[in-house]
Amino acid sequence: MRVLVLYAHPDPESFGAALHRATVSALQGAGHAVDDCDLYAEEFDPVLPLAERRGYHDPASNRAPVARHVDRLMAAEALVLVYPVWNFGFPAILKGYLDRVFLPGVSFRLDEGRVRPNLRHLKALAAVTTYGGPRWRAALLGDPPRRLVGRVLRGLVHPRAAYRYLALYDMNRRSAADRATFLARVEHTLGAL
Amino acid sequence: MRVLLVYAHPCEESFAAAVRDRALASLSAAGHEVRLRDLYAEDFDPVLSAQDRRLYHTPDENERGVADHLADLRWCEALLFVYPTWWYGHPAILKGWLDRVWVPHATFRMPKDGKPIGRVLTNIRRIGAISLLGSPRWWWWLVGAPGRRILLTGLRVLCAPGCRTLWLAHHEMDASTPATRARFLDQASNRLARWLR
Repeated sequence: MRVLVLYAHPDPESFGAALHRATVSALQGAGHAVDDCDLYAEEFDPVLPLAERRGYHDPASNRAPVARHVDRLMAAEALVLVYPVWNFGFPAILKGYLDRVFLPGVSFRLDEGRVRPNLRHLKALAAVTTYGGPRWRAALLGDPPRRLVGRVLRGLVHPRAAYRYLALYDMNRRSAADRATFLARVEHTLGAL
Repeated sequence: MRVLLVYAHPCEESFAAAVRDRALASLSAAGHEVRLRDLYAEDFDPVLSAQDRRLYHTPDENERGVADHLADLRWCEALLFVYPTWWYGHPAILKGWLDRVWVPHATFRMPKDGKPIGRVLTNIRRIGAISLLGSPRWWWWLVGAPGRRILLTGLRVLCAPGCRTLWLAHHEMDASTPATRARFLDQASNRLARWLR
């Protein structure tokens, strides 16, 4: 499969970077073609500007400013997100990818006012992520990133798409052994996607 | 009361701008002192850099670059957000404001030895948000109202105990009419007055 990996962490020495490397190598090891989109390295601008907001609802022209990202998303057969959870959400650079690239006519269509999914070509969806706090604290807030991926994004892809949400909670107190176990789990799970 | 209004929308002709202006007018008329942070107008950079990330846990150094925003947070007694909800959350420029400005030591103390997160910004006794959404109310709740909970639950535990919250949302904006929008603006004035009482 062609897999688009969207990665969002600024620090190449971070555990997030290790998760990114493990993700890409596990997918490649399983024979997939990986389009590795490192949002920080590509200096993606997450701020939806005035002109794009005004043109947002015109599917004929709204994708032009982000055409390359739209092409990569449309060419993919699977989508894997790799990100740390900050303030119970995606890092701004990844949030802005949704704001700017997941446009009407790209990720969804509006048919007589009703929202229809438009990423049916994606046969697999996965997230690899870390949370600073424990799972119960994220749960108190309804775990926004888990629901965003598991309900919203999953609703846009193929109805029978494979789905994995791989999360290591409580990062602030994890040992090196815990992190190694999680890395192995990521490699194993994505290798079998 | 001292009110910090954080606003995020690129278009001056948007309904969000009308909500912002109504909020500013009602607050001033009621005698409150208001500071506005218009994140688009000031071209706020929402991307936490590698350098920011490395200094994130270092007291004082992690305040560089956002010192004026922290000064506003320390100054205010009420914190109000006005923004459109995009993809169930905050526009990236506002999400990045949370990522970059709400740093440890200055805005909270990291949990330690089983103790919960420590409050620092106990000057903030009110936290509220007014947002405009495309989605219907039932679907917004089914998704877990993420943008609302990040602000009114997540940030609230970092502010004064008993901090009073406000949430006001206009749903299904694509089907809004001049009448629903006018009603919403009036509602915003009334709710703001009650919230700050």
